Amino acid sequence: MDIASSLAIVTLAALIHASFQLSVSVLTLLSGHAIGTKTSQARVLRLTFGFVSGVGVMTLLTLSFISLVFLHLFGPNAPQYIWAIACGLLVGVGLAVWFFYYRHEKGTTLWIPRSFARHLSDRSKATKHSAEAFSLGLTSVLSELLFIAAPMIISALVLIQLPGMWQLVGIAIYSVISLMTLFSIWVLISSGHKLSGIQKWREDNKHFIQFAAGGALAVLGFFVYVTKIMSDIAGTI
Amino acid sequence: MTRVTQLTAVSIVKRQGQRPTESFDKAKLHQSIVAASLSARTPPGQADNIAQAVTNYVLEWLEHRPEVTSHDLRLVATRHLRAHHPDAAYLYEQHKTTL
Repeated sequence: MDIASSLAIVTLAALIHASFQLSVSVLTLLSGHAIGTKTSQARVLRLTFGFVSGVGVMTLLTLSFISLVFLHLFGPNAPQYIWAIACGLLVGVGLAVWFFYYRHEKGTTLWIPRSFARHLSDRSKATKHSAEAFSLGLTSVLSELLFIAAPMIISALVLIQLPGMWQLVGIAIYSVISLMTLFSIWVLISSGHKLSGIQKWREDNKHFIQFAAGGALAVLGFFVYVTKIMSDIAGTI
Repeated sequence: MTRVTQLTAVSIVKRQGQRPTESFDKAKLHQSIVAASLSARTPPGQADNIAQAVTNYVLEWLEHRPEVTSHDLRLVATRHLRAHHPDAAYLYEQHKTTL
């Protein structure tokens, strides 16, 4: 697989990651609580920026960690059955996202354990300092692992094949692109947009986001299966 | 004064009985409406006026009810808040269903 194709896969995986909504929900709650308690706009910005930074750092660390583990286990070329499992995981998570991502009720409630959701919601309410917001960002990435693990695993498998410099570029691309949604919401909040407008847009378009994320996961799984496994088999024959 | 004395006896059943029942707290309701209004970028003075109006509506609704669920209380408050500030009502309603 050449560098351009590898980075294209990493980019698509990061876009899928960006479409997941847990961190966006926590950011919406965090800013809602902060604005609702007459916190100054500068402080709201610091809190929300702390949160976005936490998400960015944890995304970077998680992808680096998965890549490092794979590199230690398999070297630069993972066996084909690992690629096949990763492709299967992508398609499986894609189908799961189609059916289970949002709960069948009003709002943007996600299919995560309610105790977990309550914890994140309570923490977003209790967060008063940037450092707490940063750690909330770290936690929210871990809470989302169920959904983001598949795109991260495939990105890690692709990245370990690349030369060292391009691995760093790939990790940077993944981290920046996966933060795009959160960063956009942060800019909207910073520029004084109403949270109700943001939340309404999310609710109105939740089925499209769900369909797009699930579909893109399945497409990515199929694409990697064809470009990696099928082409390797064809090359062997 | 009589009304407030009566309403302190109103019990709020929380989350379908999963959490302990608590007494109605007017200040807590007022504060939550203010917070929702501020989140919708309403000026603080206006948010306070809206919260006062909605709290009065809810107090009237509670007058002959010794026990209500927190869900019903939220529905009634949302209905009245919608008349004053639809965006704030939307945020107030969505608070529990955002995550």
